[in-house]
Order: sequence, then structure tokens, then C-alpha cells
Amino acid sequence: MFKPYTSDPYFDEMIDQNGNPREHYQRFYNSLLQLNPEELKEKQDTANLNFLRQGITFTVYGNEGGTERTLPFDFIPIIIPSDKWKQIEKGMVQRVKALNLFLDDIYHGQNILNDGIIPRDLIEQNPYFYYQQAGGVDIPLRNHIFLAGIDLIKDEKGVYRVLEDNLRNPSGMSYVYQNRYVMRQVCPEFFSKHSLNMLEEQIGHLHAALMSHLPKNARTTDDPRAVLLTPGMYNSAYYDHVFLAQRMNISLVEGRDLIVKDKIVYMKTIRGLKRVDIIYRRIDDDFLDPQAFRKDSRLGVPGLLDAYRAGNVSIVNGIGNGAADDKAIYAYVPDMIKYYLNEEPIIPNVETYMLRNPEQREWVLKHIDQLVVKNVGASGGYDMLIGPHASEEEIAIFKEKIMENPNQYIAQPTIKLSRAPVYQDGRFYPCHVDLRVFVMKGENINVFPGGLSRVALKEGSLVVNSSQGGGAKDTWVLKEEPQHAKQSR
Amino acid sequence: MLSRVADSLYWMSRNGERTEQNAHILSMQLIKMLESSEQETAAQDDWETVLDICSSKEEFSFLYNSIQLDNIVDYLTFSKENVNSTVNTVSIVRENARITRNHIPNELWEVWNEFYLSLPKIPQTVNCSLPDIHFFLNQIKKTSFTATGVVDASMARDLPYHFMKIGRWLERAEKTARILHVFYQKSKQACDTTTDDVAWRSALQFVNGADTYFNRFSPIINPDCVIKFLLTDVSFPRSVRYCVDHIWEAIKKLENEKVSHYSWRMYALLDTMMTEFHEDYLNSLAEEEMEYFLLQSLNRCIEFGKIFSETYYLMERESIM
Repeated sequence: MFKPYTSDPYFDEMIDQNGNPREHYQRFYNSLLQLNPEELKEKQDTANLNFLRQGITFTVYGNEGGTERTLPFDFIPIIIPSDKWKQIEKGMVQRVKALNLFLDDIYHGQNILNDGIIPRDLIEQNPYFYYQQAGGVDIPLRNHIFLAGIDLIKDEKGVYRVLEDNLRNPSGMSYVYQNRYVMRQVCPEFFSKHSLNMLEEQIGHLHAALMSHLPKNARTTDDPRAVLLTPGMYNSAYYDHVFLAQRMNISLVEGRDLIVKDKIVYMKTIRGLKRVDIIYRRIDDDFLDPQAFRKDSRLGVPGLLDAYRAGNVSIVNGIGNGAADDKAIYAYVPDMIKYYLNEEPIIPNVETYMLRNPEQREWVLKHIDQLVVKNVGASGGYDMLIGPHASEEEIAIFKEKIMENPNQYIAQPTIKLSRAPVYQDGRFYPCHVDLRVFVMKGENINVFPGGLSRVALKEGSLVVNSSQGGGAKDTWVLKEEPQHAKQSR
Repeated sequence: MLSRVADSLYWMSRNGERTEQNAHILSMQLIKMLESSEQETAAQDDWETVLDICSSKEEFSFLYNSIQLDNIVDYLTFSKENVNSTVNTVSIVRENARITRNHIPNELWEVWNEFYLSLPKIPQTVNCSLPDIHFFLNQIKKTSFTATGVVDASMARDLPYHFMKIGRWLERAEKTARILHVFYQKSKQACDTTTDDVAWRSALQFVNGADTYFNRFSPIINPDCVIKFLLTDVSFPRSVRYCVDHIWEAIKKLENEKVSHYSWRMYALLDTMMTEFHEDYLNSLAEEEMEYFLLQSLNRCIEFGKIFSETYYLMERESIM
């Protein structure tokens, strides 16, 4: 049986301060109360078994060879009412537009740097800024961001904020589908009382967006050949690659399946070589082409960059997108929105202190036990200090790291991340959650309804990353209740 | 279709068949062993035959001190060193299924994935009783039957299906040819007709053809008749001839019944095989030619595998790319 808990001092997705369910959770809450402990346990077990059988696993590195794990799933969904969702949607469109204009700018005229809005050295010293390789290239639709994953959180007041932009190879979309699929198998009774936004049509949008990136010298305009380039089955997101290639009906290729001849990319088939027009790559820039990037890359395709620069093949997401999504540039996204769109950000950032700035640094070092410190280039929850939870020794180490390399770190207030109830191992308890929203961009921008809700299943933990014990939940975006026409009197 | 994908489909299928056949042969021999336990040397000899058919006698003696039951079971099922051990062939099937998930029914992946995930829980042979081993071998066979059923019931008859089928038939043809070759050698050394009779009976059982054979022919074993049956019968699904017929059908579909510059070598070899694996051809052989012929049959199957792979660029040949 579900028993209410105190939500203070956090914002809880389901329960208000008085311990009552929020309005948009009311129907779900009623269904939940009707389940007995056996039924609850059975639901959890069935869900986990389902993921394992399907082989929906990711690889955890560390011990020899890496081990396969399933992403733990929790069957209590995150429910988002339609008006809230509309606001998120607008905010995401605005943000991705600005980020794309920014990328196009820094790889061409660099107006934003010339106007002093963003410090030039922040871009030029960024290891993911590949001007030599991607500068001045005329890419289809001038679009650098085919698929973005924007991570959102809610603060203690329930306000959505952007935590992180992922503009390189955001993964997780397949999990959104699988979460929904498993949820339907395990909890069909929950669905009957809700009207949700469906996911099925989104693959069509994704496919259309991909196909719109026709290279300048495409062999044909009506039937271009697109492929998904994967590092292979040992990659932690391999299931994501399999799923997307299958649903979009494009070939899933590895670097060794492709070959470049006279600046044209071909794939090796049982009938010989076939020309490739569009590459949705899920390999990082560094490994794409050993002639242009890391020479030791065995995942990539020699000569790929030449074909790209010649306009014979499109590569999405764009090369060099990492210059726009690290944690230092993040702080400037509100400025980009103002600069390029002349608008105020609809979804705000989390307040961020730049440690390169001496005054801010001094303040941060004094208050470090109340702050979160992050490496601007790291992801996955690594190289990060959570001040209130850290030992004195850990704090000392980070202080040293900051003094040594202030450009490499930022600090943010410890946000009281919102929580949602989970059911694991026979009991309910609240856990911190975040939401990765997927934005697809081709000729049009489209925001995937809902997204991947990640949850830090370890009680009290703030880290939602799957590599560190995070799990996932289904995300429901409610449809607007149908309004009937009424005569005004 | 990508050459790499075709290659994975082909090897997934071959290793699936190999897993099933090796499990079948091992379980047959374990049952037979119970009856012949008094004749120590004969039993040892029988196990060497099994090792020759399923893997390699030489590799086995390199890895283990003596031909003992637990060593043999360990080598054939759990050994990491033996590329043809069950654990390894199942891993290969699963890995290739994972690579080709976009081209095979989801249920096929699930069947092998589930079996693979159950593998580590199966106790190592040291504490493994005979009933445990039989149970395990049965699990393998059931998994393979289910997988075959999924393929036949739900796959469209296009490229991926044909590549998988060719892999399965070629694996079968090669195994039957190998069994014939090994048992012919053995039969040559047999000192009396009883041992000879037992050997050819085993050959039939290893190919899972004893029932069909005894439905048709007299219960007294005639070696020539067994060879003919396993090599040239057109209706028994594990005879070499039956497998080659079906490879031929699949190739015709792959190539739209046409012969091209890149496929003529494959067609030419198939032609030779169709001629040789025929009753008339066998009748034309002198008795002393038989031994060489059986070895050549096995080599034909191996050679076909190579030419098939080259025809569809399944093997990396940088020079033509």
C-alpha cells in the first residue's frame, strides 16, 4: 500500500505539502491505492525481467570487458499536465534555435565573439572546438543540431530549469519507447483513465528531419541513402542505435562497413559498394576519421572529413558541437538567446559561478561546502563535488583542483532537486528525478512529448546517471481535456 | 544488405546448428556409454571419435591429462579454450544475433539471449551428475528447435532468410560428411563385423537418422547402404545431398536464377557437388576409391563455404574493395 511521506523541503512531483496528491496525479493515485503488496511486487519483477529478456541493456565499464546491466525501471510514471508541457516545448525550441545559431556563428563569422558577448578564449581553448575541421563548411540547412537532449530539473519551488545541454550524441530515446512498452505490459490498468500524447508518430518526425539534411552534391534528391554509424555492440548505447536504425529503416553501419573513394562515401554490401548520402553518426568527433582527428581511431572512416567538406555527404549531429554544450558555455546560453533571438529565456538556467572569474572563485572557495562543483568537460556524473555531502578531504582535493585549473570548473548552488515516489524492493520512498527532453531539428523543430525521466534510485542520492545507479520512469504528457463548444451568454 | 550483416547472419546460423548437433552427439554417446561400460578400450576409442567430430582430439589432449568423462564434458560444453564448446558457440550465436537484430525476428533474439543468460547459472561439470548434463543438453536442443521454429514461422523469405538457411544447410552437410569420413576410418580398423555394425549404428544415431534408416532398410546394417543414405538421399533432411539441393535453391533465389561473373565459381562447385552426391556416381566408384572420396566430399563442403563467403564479400578482401 502506498503511504504518504513528508515531501519537505523538496518539491514532490506527486504529493503536495499537505500530503495530498496533486490534481494531475489524482486519477493515477486512486488506481495505485487499489494495489496490494503482492501485486506491486509482481509488477516490479515483471518489468525488470522484460528488460533483460529483450536485451535492453547498457554496458558498465570497469571490471574486465564490461558487464551488461539493464536500466532499473520504476513503474510510477512522471505525469506532466498539458499547459506545463507547452511551456517546456516553447522553451526547448527557443533554446535549440539559439544554440544552433551560436554553432553556425562560431564556425563562420564569429560575431558573438567579436561583439564580446562570450569570451573568445572560452571557445578557442575548448578541446571540442574543431575549427580546423569544421570551420567555414557550408552544411545543409545550416543545421548543426539534428537531435538535442536537454536535461531539465525542477527546483524546490517546482520551477523547471535547464541543467545541461547535450548536443553531441544524446542517447536514451529508445528507453523512452521501451519504458512505455513495458509499462503497457505491466500496468495496463493505469492507462485506461488517462489521455496521453502518443510516441509512435515521433519516429516519422525524426526520419523526416534526418532526410532533410541532403548534401549539396547528393546523388539523388528523392531517395537519399541514410545510415546510422555506430561504434558497435560494445558501446554502452548500442541498443539505442539498433532501435533508431530499425525504426527509421536505415542501415546500422560500423566504420569498417564504410569506405571513401574520391571523396565519396560508400558502404560495403553483398552486391558491392553503394553510395551513402547522410550519416547519423553516434561516434564522437575524435574517432570519426583518423586522418582528421585521432590517428589511433579504429572506429572511424579514413577520408570521411574530406567527403564532408566537399559537400558529398552530410554528417549529423554536426562536427564540433561540443563547443556549445560544455558546462562553461552553458552559463552563456541565456546571453545567446538574447543576442540571436532578442528574447528572454523561457526556461531558465541554474545559477552558475564561473571559477575563471577571480571574485566568483573567491566566493565559491569560501562557500564550497554548500555548492556543487563540476568539471566543464566531464559528463555522466564524474569529477563532481557535492559540497554538503563531501568529506573535508574531498573538499580539500577539489579546492586544489580549482586553484590549479580554474577554467576547468564551474560551481552551482545545491539545488533541492524535485523528487517523485518510487517503488523498489517492497516499499515506496521519494527519489530525486530529472528529465531529458529530446528536440529534433531539420527543416522544422519538433519536441518529443515527454522524454526520459531519470531517477536516482539510491535513497538521498542526487546522481541520476545510469552508470551510477540511476533508473528510469515512464513520462506521461497529458492531452488537453477536450473542450466542447459553448455558446457564450 | 551490408556484407558484415550477411556474414553475421550466416555464422549465427552455422553456430546455432553446430550447438544443436554437438549437444545431440554428446547425449547419444552418453547413453551409449552406459551400455558399453565393460569394454574400457572401446569406450575410450568412441570418445576419441566424438572429439574428432565435434572438435579436435589433439586440442583435447593438449588441454587435459586423460580421456575421462568429466574432462570430455567440460571440453565440449564449458571450455573457453575450445571454440566449438557449447558456451562458445552459444555466445557466437548470441553476439551475431545482437549485431543483426534489425534483420531477424525479435523472438529469435530473445530465445538465444535468454538461453545465454541462463548459462552461467549452470554448474560446472565437476559437480555435475549425468542427469544434470542430460537436462542441460536437452535445454540446448529445445532452444535450437524453438529458434528454428521462429525463423520458419515468421521470417520473410528474402535476403536475411536465405543467408541464414545457407549457413544452416552448409553446416549440416559438412557435419554429415565429417561423420561419414570419421566412421569410415574407424570401420576400416574394425576387427570383426560386430564392432563394425556398432560403429555404423552410431554414425546413424549421430546424424539423428537411425529411425528413418531403419524404417526403410533391413535391421541388419549394411555399410554401403548407410553411406549411400547419408550422402545421397534426397528426402532425409540431414543427408549431404538434401542440404546441397537446398543450398542450390537458396542461391538461385539470391541470384534471381542468373549466373554472373562474380558467381560462376560458386555455381560451378555446386554443379560438381550435385553430380558427386548422387547414387550413380557412388556406384561408379571402386571400393578402394571410397576412402578418398569421403575425404574429398568433406573438403568440397569446406571449399564451398570459402567460395560463398568470397562471392558476397563476407570476408574482408581489401584488394577488391
